[in-house]
Amino acid sequence: MKNYAERNRALIHFIVLPTILLTVGLLGGLRIDAQTGKFIFIAPPLVTLVLAILLGSLFVRAGAIDLHHWLAIDQPTLTNLAHLLTLIALFFASAQAFNSVLPESGLLHWMFAFFFLWTLWTNQFSAFDARRLLKSLIVLFGTAFVLKHLLVSGLYAPAGGWFKRIAAALLQGIAIDVPAFAPVTGYVSFFALVLYVVGLLLIAPVPMRPPASAVNKLAAREDALAHESLDETSE
Amino acid sequence: MQRKFIQIAGIIWTLVYAGFIVWLYATEPRSFKEVATNTQVAAGIYEINQERFNNGLALFSRDQFRAARDEWAGADPAQRDPRTQFYIAYACYREGWGRVYDDDALFKQGLEAVNRAISLAPNGTLMVEDPNLQMNTAAELKTELEQGTETSWNDLNPLKLFRKRK
Repeated sequence: MKNYAERNRALIHFIVLPTILLTVGLLGGLRIDAQTGKFIFIAPPLVTLVLAILLGSLFVRAGAIDLHHWLAIDQPTLTNLAHLLTLIALFFASAQAFNSVLPESGLLHWMFAFFFLWTLWTNQFSAFDARRLLKSLIVLFGTAFVLKHLLVSGLYAPAGGWFKRIAAALLQGIAIDVPAFAPVTGYVSFFALVLYVVGLLLIAPVPMRPPASAVNKLAAREDALAHESLDETSE
Repeated sequence: MQRKFIQIAGIIWTLVYAGFIVWLYATEPRSFKEVATNTQVAAGIYEINQERFNNGLALFSRDQFRAARDEWAGADPAQRDPRTQFYIAYACYREGWGRVYDDDALFKQGLEAVNRAISLAPNGTLMVEDPNLQMNTAAELKTELEQGTETSWNDLNPLKLFRKRK
């Protein structure tokens, strides 16, 4: 029973988690052209990399990732390498998650980027724990998703409704350059964000450590006994 | 032991999957079909569709250049075959050539194709043995296309009216 649990935990930690994060990296920059239905791959813009660094810093500050346990000198090289790859995958997944909800160009791109930067920067100085951080991120990405894929894309839909008319009246004379993508792009982005949140849920602050070998257990027991005898003699 | 095996498998899988994603973003395929074609190119098993290439040749010999280009584009979707790219450039040249003036858009398209052909050819030299063509090297074709897109005093030369299409 214990073996199964350990094996499944290892599978999730070393295979499922990097796969989920890399899939976010793949889907975050994928758009579907509205006219031709062809793929468009948008590499993460520089600003999303900056946002991903700020978010990574938040993960560490909030204790969602304990770097000392993820990368430690007393761990086997393989474990450190696997953890390093997972952290790199997390970095790119974060960048692509931002890329997915950031308008591609124009005024809205810089407005969204500014608000993301502002939010993440002010959060650096707030008291956070891992759970609150996750809730805050869900709200942040959810809001950006609704704004980009429901409101802004609705503005530029060929058959725009009342919202398009109101926005056209409000933003008269302001050129907002947003490329038109097929509605399926919104579904891809939604799937990427859901995967990203699932990936964040799967990340343990302290990763599983290899089970102690019999020799290590014996050494630990000897240490404990030595400490006990020292304590007794000092008393 | 089992944990170590899962770790190694995880590392290999992560590197392979990440490499695949980087490759996708670098090659930017436009459809699943292009993904398959690019995979064939990467694996070194890419071949042009010979039947469509021959169809293109038949259309080219009947001066149906646009249709010929479409056939060749379908025969070499990845634009990796220097010979096909040379023929596409030649079709652009023949269709765009004019006694008084040349079609700049077609010549530019031809120039792009011939540049692709040169870059794909081993040592950058491409020679096509075809008795129906008057220019058999990519270098000659490139020069002709470049001259067609350039503006010079020579364009006003009335003797230009007597030149022949190659």
